[in-house]
Formats: sequence, structure tokens, C-alpha cells
Amino acid sequence: MSWATAKIALRLRLPAALSAAVGLIAVMAAVGALFPAVGHTIGKLNVPRSVSNLLGGGDYGTITGWFRSEIASIYGPLVIGALAITGAAATTAGEEEDRILALVLSYPARRSRLVIAKAAAIGVVVVTIAAATWVGLIIGVALAGGGITIAHMAALAIQLAFFGCATGALAIAVAASTGRRSLATGVAAGVGIVGWLINSFAPLVGALTWLKYLSPFYYYAGHDPLTQGVNAAGVIVLGAVTVVLLIAAAAGIGRRDLRG
Amino acid sequence: MAKSTRDSSVGTPPVSATPVIETSGLSKHYGSGRGLFGLDLEVRAGEVFGFLGPNGAGKSTTLRLLLDLIRPTAGAARVLGLDTVRDSLEIRRRVGFLPGDLALYPTLTGRVVLDYLADLRGGVDRRVRDSLVERFDAELDRPVRELSTGNRQKLGLVQAFMHEPEVLILDEPIAGLDPLVQKSFHTLLAEVSAQGRTVLLSSHTLSEVERVTNRLAILRRGRLVVVDSVENLRRVAVQRLEIEFAAPVAADKFGALPEVTEARADDRTVTVSFQGSADKVVKEAAKHEVLAIRPREDELEEIFLRYYQEQPL
Repeated sequence: MSWATAKIALRLRLPAALSAAVGLIAVMAAVGALFPAVGHTIGKLNVPRSVSNLLGGGDYGTITGWFRSEIASIYGPLVIGALAITGAAATTAGEEEDRILALVLSYPARRSRLVIAKAAAIGVVVVTIAAATWVGLIIGVALAGGGITIAHMAALAIQLAFFGCATGALAIAVAASTGRRSLATGVAAGVGIVGWLINSFAPLVGALTWLKYLSPFYYYAGHDPLTQGVNAAGVIVLGAVTVVLLIAAAAGIGRRDLRG
Repeated sequence: MAKSTRDSSVGTPPVSATPVIETSGLSKHYGSGRGLFGLDLEVRAGEVFGFLGPNGAGKSTTLRLLLDLIRPTAGAARVLGLDTVRDSLEIRRRVGFLPGDLALYPTLTGRVVLDYLADLRGGVDRRVRDSLVERFDAELDRPVRELSTGNRQKLGLVQAFMHEPEVLILDEPIAGLDPLVQKSFHTLLAEVSAQGRTVLLSSHTLSEVERVTNRLAILRRGRLVVVDSVENLRRVAVQRLEIEFAAPVAADKFGALPEVTEARADDRTVTVSFQGSADKVVKEAAKHEVLAIRPREDELEEIFLRYYQEQPL
């Protein structure tokens, strides 16, 4: 891995990640502070199961269900996925389209090592957001009156980190193989959205239940880390997907002509 | 008129017969007749070699092939005796490259960018880098996005030279540079050449390269048109003189001369395009009262035209 490249990629991406982290913590604190006022009322709402599934299938009336719906199902993966995908696409295909990579690749560094270095920088961004999620949960749950263990909150952050790594790795694989930023962003975001819908709706149709196994959301939160803790199988699958996609990225960029 | 010999500051470099850059049937096909087709070229050790051609001629494609940024469709190339595909890492270690349309990280300062590139390369002597920064008066403390094209190009030159490479591959190196910095650059090229290092530089303007190159190649539509010394190319190039007379003079007097390819009269001024010696043109002009003779810069395209006529593609 090229440490110099990892450092510069991180320097370029970290400001946005830190801003997002602060925003995430603030939102989770607000969500937590809101629960005592609305939790009991909203918990009595008769929400259709399809809608409930889209929001993580949680019981709004409980502190765990509240945070699963508000943070774990949408806001957390949205923020971490957006930063991982846009960052991954920008640092690889974006730099290629902007012609910066034409200079960098004239230096004595293997393309594969540059890509892995950039992936490592995105990994740090993902871990930063996951850590912020954990901190935000701790603050938010405390403001909500407590009810989730710190270990279970950490479990959600860990599962979220692996989810972010997998989506970022998908963006890097497409970006490195094609040199096209918009394609990489589109494919990774599309897989994320379709995965979210599949994970929400597939369980409602008996014959299609198996589809949920194709969704990264299933491995991220299918076992409800806020109540069950870390799901080793989910982490292993997301980790393995990340590794395979990064190998594909390293191979993909090595085989083709540089664009731009 | 542009000088027809190398800049005196360049001196006589120790050019060796050993080829440092060799291409053999090097081709890159982009479809629709675009690309590079069967390029056979040799650049010798210690040589400053100019690579000329209009936009789309294949210059940048060739340079990118030499650095393995793109891969050939056919043929092969060697730099420092190494295969450009198989041994590209070692080639890139020993070569300094300035891409055309240089792009750098816009939000970072020049200092951070150079620090990064020095780390990425490894083994860069900070004193060499600092002396280049001083020489080009490069701006290091402002974000790249705030720099003019010329100031960005200075950073590009610093990074290309900072590890004292054996070979320099420079794509349009003086684009955007002011005349003073151009002079510094030409002096640096002279020093590099005198040290026996090799330079391949591309341009679409003859005047940019004629002062510093030993030989040059002209490309047109992906094919090599000619490789020769600047002096020899000048010999066959079309030159132009703008002659202002005290009274109107008919252009056909000049048009009848065998060397003249075109003569146009506009009131008291006659513009004469000719090849080879200016002797007969000047003697014909001297038959009248001449107020001024102004040379017109040769256009590279006119040299191309000459070769188009001789070597239709």
C-alpha cells in the first residue's frame, strides 16, 4: 500500500467526514431528546407492516425500536453509504477524470497499491462515521432515558462500519475498473437502494423471502444489533464482499488504459 | 524570424548513439482513424528531442504509451532498455514526466502537492526540489485552484525534475509560462542535456522547441512524417518576408522567382513566401525603394504542408 497516497486521500476526504460526524451526533442527540415527548404516542400508531419494514420493523414505543427506525434503518446507512460511495468514486475515477491520476500513475507506484491506499482512506472515513454513530447513540439514548447497552450500540456501529466498507468497496471496484465516476456512484447507490427495498419487502412475500440474502442491509441489520449485538455471520459476509471487491478493483485498474 | 540554430546557452550536449527511447511499430488504435500507427523512433542518450504535431497528431498518446498509462494495440517501446509494459515500474522510477494539461489537487497547496509527490517517489533530495522552486519562483503556499496556468505549470516542472531523472518526458512543457520562466526552463534543459540526460518534449509550436532541440520528429494524424534536425527542416520550410516599399510594387515580379511559393501585394506591402535562400527575393526587392523588411514567423503547419506534398499519407 502507498502510505503517501492514503494520507493525501484521507486529507482530502476527512473534512467532509468530520462535518458529517458532527451532524450525525447532533441528529442522534435530537432524536434521543425527542423520544420522551413522542415515543409513547407514536408507539400506538397502527403503521402498515410494509411501511414498518422500510423503517426497520421496530416498535416506536420502545427506545430500541425508536433508534432502529430513526437511525439504524435510514439515517446511519444513508450517511455512511453516501460518504463511502462518493468518496470512493471521487478518489479513484474522479481523479482519473480530472486528469490528476495521469500524473500520479507516472510515479513508481503500482496501480493496485494506489487503489488499496485510497480504499484504506475511505475505510478511515467509514470508521469515523461509525464511531460518530456510536457516540451519537450513547448521547441520544442517554437523553431518551436509557435502555440500550453501550455494547449493543457499539454492535450497531460495527455492523454499520462493515456495511459502509462493502458499499464503498463496490464503488471503488466499479470506479477502478471503468474510470467513470458517475457510473461507480450510480451502481453503488443503486445496489444500496435496491438492497434496502429488497430487505424491507422480500420478507412480506413468502416465495421471495430468499431475496433478502442478496441485500447488504440484511447482513448489516437483519439481526437487529441494537438488541442482539454483533452478528458474526453478517460481519463476515460484508467483510468478505469488501475484500473480493477490492481485489477486483486492484485487478480492474491494472488491466486497462487510463482515461482522460 | 525564428532562430534556425539551437540557443547558444544550450551548448553541445554529449549526445550518444545509444538509444534511450526506442519505439518499434508502436500503435494505438482508437477507432475512426484516430490514434498512433506504426511509430518507429529512436531518441539518443543526452539528446533533447522535439516531438511536434498539431492537436490530435498522436504526441500525447506516444508519451502516455511510454509511461504505460495506456497500452499499445501493436508494436513495442523501450525506455532505458526496458520494456514499457513489462518494466514500467522501473521506467517510472527513472523518468520525470510532465503531462499535457497538467492537473493537480485543487484544494491543496503547491507545497502539500510536492510533498506528496516526493513521498510517493521516494529518494527526492529536498535541496534539489528547493532549488527548482527557487529557480522557477514557484508559488507553494496557495491552493492550486488559485494559481494561474503558468504557476501550476511551474509546479509541474518542479515535480518532473526534482528527482534528477535520467529521462524527462515533457508534454507541452512551456504552456502558460511567461518568457522569463521559459528562459529558466531552457537553461535547465541545457544543463540536463549537458549532464547526458535525455529529454523528449512535445509541442505543437515549432518556436517552442527549435531553440533547445537537437532533432525533432513531426507527427501527423498518428503517423511519423519526418525525423530530422531543426536546421534540415528549416532548409525545406516555407519562410515569409513582409516587404514594405515606398511605392506599390507588383507581386508577380516575386511570384516569378523559382523559390517563391506565394507572393501577395497589398498597397505598398508585398508578402512573399519562399523556400530555401532569401537571396533572390531580397535582390528583387532591392530593385525598388524598400522602407522595411519584416520576417514573419514560420508556422509549423507550413512545414507540415511541405511534407504533406512530399509524403502524402
